[in-house]
Amino acid sequence: AEVEETLKRIQAHKGVMATMVINAEGIPVRTTLDNSTTVQYAGLLHQLTVKARSTVRDLDPQNDLTFLRIRSKKHEIMIAPDKEYLLIVIQNPCE
Amino acid sequence: LQVFDEQGKDVTPHPLFHPDPNAAVPRQGKTLPSSARLGAAGAGLLSSFPPHQASGEDTNVGSFSSFNLTEGLNLASCNFTGVQVRPAEMKEELTEEDLERSVEVYLTETETLWMLDLPSVVVSVESEDAGRIVERNKIYADICKTRPGNDRFVEKMMQTINGAAKNKEVQCDQIVMEDKGVTVTSWDLYDSFNALEKNPASQAGGTRATTRESSQPHTTKKHHQTTPVSSDTDSTTSPTMVLESSVHEEEDCHSGAILRSDNFQQDLFFMERILMENIFQPKLAVYRQFPVLTDPDVTSDTGAAAAATEEAEEREQGKEKKDKEEQKEAFINPSVLSDGEKSPEEVVLPSLERLWSYVCDLTNGHSVSSMAWSKVNPDLLAVGYGAFDFKEQKKGLACCWSLKNPMWPERVFQCEHGVTALDFSVGRPNLLAVGMYNGSVAIYDVRSRNHAALLDSSESTNKPTGPVWQLRWVEEDRGARGAGKAERLICISADGRVTSWFVQKRLDCTDLMKIKRTEREEQKLLGMKERKREALISQQAAGMCFDFHPKDANVYLAGTEEGYIHKCSCSSTEQFLETYRGHKGPVYKVVWNPFSTEMFLSCSADWSIILWHQDSQAPVLTLNSSSAVVHDVAWSPKSVFAFAAANESRVEIWDLGGSVLNPVISCLASPGEKFTSVLFATNTDCLLVGDSKGEVSVFKLQNLAAPSTDKVQFLVRRTSEVHLK
Repeated sequence: AEVEETLKRIQAHKGVMATMVINAEGIPVRTTLDNSTTVQYAGLLHQLTVKARSTVRDLDPQNDLTFLRIRSKKHEIMIAPDKEYLLIVIQNPCE
Repeated sequence: LQVFDEQGKDVTPHPLFHPDPNAAVPRQGKTLPSSARLGAAGAGLLSSFPPHQASGEDTNVGSFSSFNLTEGLNLASCNFTGVQVRPAEMKEELTEEDLERSVEVYLTETETLWMLDLPSVVVSVESEDAGRIVERNKIYADICKTRPGNDRFVEKMMQTINGAAKNKEVQCDQIVMEDKGVTVTSWDLYDSFNALEKNPASQAGGTRATTRESSQPHTTKKHHQTTPVSSDTDSTTSPTMVLESSVHEEEDCHSGAILRSDNFQQDLFFMERILMENIFQPKLAVYRQFPVLTDPDVTSDTGAAAAATEEAEEREQGKEKKDKEEQKEAFINPSVLSDGEKSPEEVVLPSLERLWSYVCDLTNGHSVSSMAWSKVNPDLLAVGYGAFDFKEQKKGLACCWSLKNPMWPERVFQCEHGVTALDFSVGRPNLLAVGMYNGSVAIYDVRSRNHAALLDSSESTNKPTGPVWQLRWVEEDRGARGAGKAERLICISADGRVTSWFVQKRLDCTDLMKIKRTEREEQKLLGMKERKREALISQQAAGMCFDFHPKDANVYLAGTEEGYIHKCSCSSTEQFLETYRGHKGPVYKVVWNPFSTEMFLSCSADWSIILWHQDSQAPVLTLNSSSAVVHDVAWSPKSVFAFAAANESRVEIWDLGGSVLNPVISCLASPGEKFTSVLFATNTDCLLVGDSKGEVSVFKLQNLAAPSTDKVQFLVRRTSEVHLK
């Protein structure tokens, strides 16, 4: 219930273009985009997350990746990775 | 030596003769002494000659006669041809007891079995036949020498028969070669090493790499977890393939589990905060007094908006729009503002810059009655919502807002009645005391998300019968009695009592002071007896506010509805130390000056703010700025003579070092909105203003001049002169 509320609030925020929750196999659990785009994001971002996590842990195996932000010209992609899922929010912070 | 076939089964060739597993141990024991015993006449341990022992004995072979060597080789070859793959044979699990058990090893010698008898063609020089053989050798050598030309030798041709060649075809299964590559990263090794202790029995389902160290057979079991990695590097389309082929039901239960997991909740929480940070970054930076970053890609029309003037009136117009985007751009570069305005002679005007406001759906419609900072975390703000008027009573709210999320409170506590006062505890910073319109006091624990109060005063028999107008946790030195400082919760309420709360199985209170109605001085001289005969509705005057002396925790000021301010002491419950008369209406707030602790300020419904000196019964200074009830007043924590006041239509910042007639900054409210409370931020130059619409706006004080030391001294002298009069 609280999870739902928080998710709704995040989705309703100004500038948030999309919110996605993807499970470990790349299947979208919750998404505000259409399926094909979501699947595309899921695949690409999953690989990136894995690489980022691998990098962090290679440098120090006791460390782990907690959050990933990709700032591009048009918007910002924020990823909260976990072993079982990926939480992705795309925000356009200026508009 | 162990050999594994492709299914991973142990196909180490076993010795042919396999009496029973229990005898396996003594068998192995036997071979070792056999190697030590280098008897010339063959060891004769046939059945117990595991091939791996043979290889171990290679070094000893040289000391054996060749007879033994061939014997060993034959045995080995026998073993290999006779071996079948025996997948069913389980390796005997040796339990602890087995290992501990003493095993008796019996060594016996079998009879000598002749397997092969190759007579030797070499004879020792020292044997008896030696002479005869040497002679025969010599004769033979002579004959060989005379061979060419001798009649006794005839040359003869021989033909060897070539056997007919026959082709034999043999078919075998194709040997499938598979290439498997795995990138082993250092964290992979670390994980595997740590997982060794955790789950040694976990099954390896997926494919294994064929190259492994035998010393760490368990690393491969972890590889199946990394196959997603390797499969991703192999083919980029594998996730999409998985998508299409997965079972629908599994999806459902996994997704439900994800949404309910704690990690997910936490991640959502962080994500929201990060979103907020993105949205509010310039404002928060200003709050924290960091230089504001401009996004180079995001420059929209900042120039025009930034040239807006610093006059307070124009700022309100901007505020009335309540359009965050415009403001964000307008405030992106505050240095531009001041530079634009500055001319060599002109002084930059001090102003209030509105940053953001804490507001959400829940708080709309409630009026802010009180605000308090957390004593430990300067970013945590508690705001109480409730109406002051009797007619407007509805359920109240106490919310805890965090700087990191200005759009949704961290904690929301619903209260039965309007909240009129709240305060965070110092000693136990997670406790928030809330005072309500019906006189009850509740203590909440902000660590929990529970809506119920930790402690409630509803069972207390002595509780206030009127609204609790102010609440404070006060630390006091209990030097004589106990160790260290103890904390008390003290509140003042409309039934004229100053009560101190304590917890003894439930929240209960005792009275510190009962505020009696004080007669006015002139009337005292007239007929006192007449007054006594009047039936007063109550002997007590409603208390509206109080403030403990910053240095002396025994002395406090209490403001009443009659307009008097009493200086009281904790040691006496009936008598006042002093009474200050000056206000003509209820005193809404009284505050000691944190720097110059002889002065205090009070504000009241008679539209005035009065500055007092504690030794003088007459006001030192009366400040009137507008014809509106002054709801709240607060001293600035940074500047000695600056304070903020909220009257209904304006927020004013006064600087007594500058001017005593007019406020330095005056900020108008939008129509329909009344300012009800002010609070200074402790760690930065910001002012929080609560209003009747449920918004707590955060303003940044800009360009407020710090008083110069000589001005301060002048003012102090002046006020002391006044009070001596």
